[in-house]
Amino acid sequence: MILEIEYINNLTSDIWEMKLNGDFPFNNVQAGQFINIRIKDSYDHLLRRPISIAEANTDMQSLTIVFRVVGQGTKWLSQRQKGDKLDVMGPLGVGFPLPDYNRKVLIVGGGVGVPPLYQLAVDVSKYTKNVHILLGFRNARECFWQEKFADKGELVIATEDGSRGVRGFVTDALKAYKSYWDYVYACGPRPMLKALKQYFQGQDVKGYVSLEERMACGVGACYGCVCSSEDRGENFRICKEGPVFPWGEVDI
Amino acid sequence: MSKPDLSVEIAGIKLKNPVMPASGCFGYGREYSKYYSLSKLGAVVVKATTLKRRLGNPTPRVTEVTAGMLNAIGLANPGVEQVVKEELPWLADQNVPIIVNIAGETVSEYCQVAEIISHSGLAQAVELNVSCPNVKLGGLTFGADPVILADLVRQVKKVCCIPVIVKLSPNVTSITELALAAEQAGADGISLINTLIGMKIDLKTRKPVLANKIGGLSGPAIKPVALRMVYETARIVNIPIIGMGGIYKGEDAVEFIMAGASGVMVGTANFTDPYACPKIIAGIESFMIAQGLKSLEDIRGCAL
Repeated sequence: MILEIEYINNLTSDIWEMKLNGDFPFNNVQAGQFINIRIKDSYDHLLRRPISIAEANTDMQSLTIVFRVVGQGTKWLSQRQKGDKLDVMGPLGVGFPLPDYNRKVLIVGGGVGVPPLYQLAVDVSKYTKNVHILLGFRNARECFWQEKFADKGELVIATEDGSRGVRGFVTDALKAYKSYWDYVYACGPRPMLKALKQYFQGQDVKGYVSLEERMACGVGACYGCVCSSEDRGENFRICKEGPVFPWGEVDI
Repeated sequence: MSKPDLSVEIAGIKLKNPVMPASGCFGYGREYSKYYSLSKLGAVVVKATTLKRRLGNPTPRVTEVTAGMLNAIGLANPGVEQVVKEELPWLADQNVPIIVNIAGETVSEYCQVAEIISHSGLAQAVELNVSCPNVKLGGLTFGADPVILADLVRQVKKVCCIPVIVKLSPNVTSITELALAAEQAGADGISLINTLIGMKIDLKTRKPVLANKIGGLSGPAIKPVALRMVYETARIVNIPIIGMGGIYKGEDAVEFIMAGASGVMVGTANFTDPYACPKIIAGIESFMIAQGLKSLEDIRGCAL
């Protein structure tokens, strides 16, 4: 489907926010799902770029994505302008299952893994008011969407250099909480997800992680983006069975 | 003017048009059936199937390169029993011929898989994968030596009651020698080309991007090589040829047909555009209308 860029804006030196509208099943978006975006109508970039949905606004009939410029494809994307059209597939994959009512929820994000957690926080806030949000960034200059998240739960920021919030990784910040949670939702770098899974090992908590891998088809046909099951006995397709998995089911 | 006839016959199988998704690029069809009816396709070629389940290679398994992509999936599949039980019955209901790509580490494994597929009654042909560049055992071992290839084809033909198409590798000294060996051993058709072996290095890590280090190059980058190999093969064999390698548009498919191919397979293009196959079929039809062609036979092999 073809979506039009309503606005594009840089949030940090290399992270961009883009709002899209057009004919898209906005109402059917599950937090944690992604879209697969065609880069140019040429042979320069044959593989689409999978980017998670940060916000699907059913009232505004719009979709917001946030992405980091990491190569030529995302650079091209960052150079698009208001009114430009994008060829998009989605929503794709399986997102975060929502909690039961009035449960205690912790949402943890790291770096460019933070965006899909915004839609999650919006959806979770309809089920419970007990929401802690912990976001980790490299430094204050890399932080984004702080105000938006603060509106959806009790927000703590951690930065590696201490230039904002708690100094250290999210797992360091976690130690300061005097709380327990029924649900933990996370998206970010693998080491962060691994550390979180270990941190909560043995506790009675439902944990969900969103994983990332280089993709080709984005629909489950090519078996390019797999991850291993916890016992490494089978593989799951991140684009199809994921990107969100219960952390007990996957080898992070 | 009446609509042009896109139908073709390959190894005794009647296809409503010459376009089929290539093995490994279309799963078992389910994913793309959400985008269009699979009955629009000439046939569906499903992922390589082996005797036992294979998990495949570690990730990253795919990466993009100039006008192409590299993959090193490693023949991940649930094994032939599971494919026959869970995947083929659904696909057989989609009103489209099925070709099952099969692979093995030994002649016996190829034969067992071919026999199971053939006896299932669910597929119209098998495609022998003797050209996978991403596995340590099997694959290219069988596709690089004419004597070994001929023996494999003969053994499979003995146990398989449906047509046997042999998928050849471009990573050989003489593809025509292998095509001839396959034909003489009784192959019912030849498909080519599988991917070319390639590599990409990550400038930050200073290491190959793919976990397998090397992978198969596909996409428009390989089209001239593929076309040349189809052309050379068409000059010397009499069995039908299915051409593939970087087909993105109807015009690309027409070039392969002019080089002597009876059918074409579409791989990487499915990833770029899920509607690639129906668009290519429409593109072939437009070309035929513009050129006043009634049948693809009017142009097949005309460049030879």
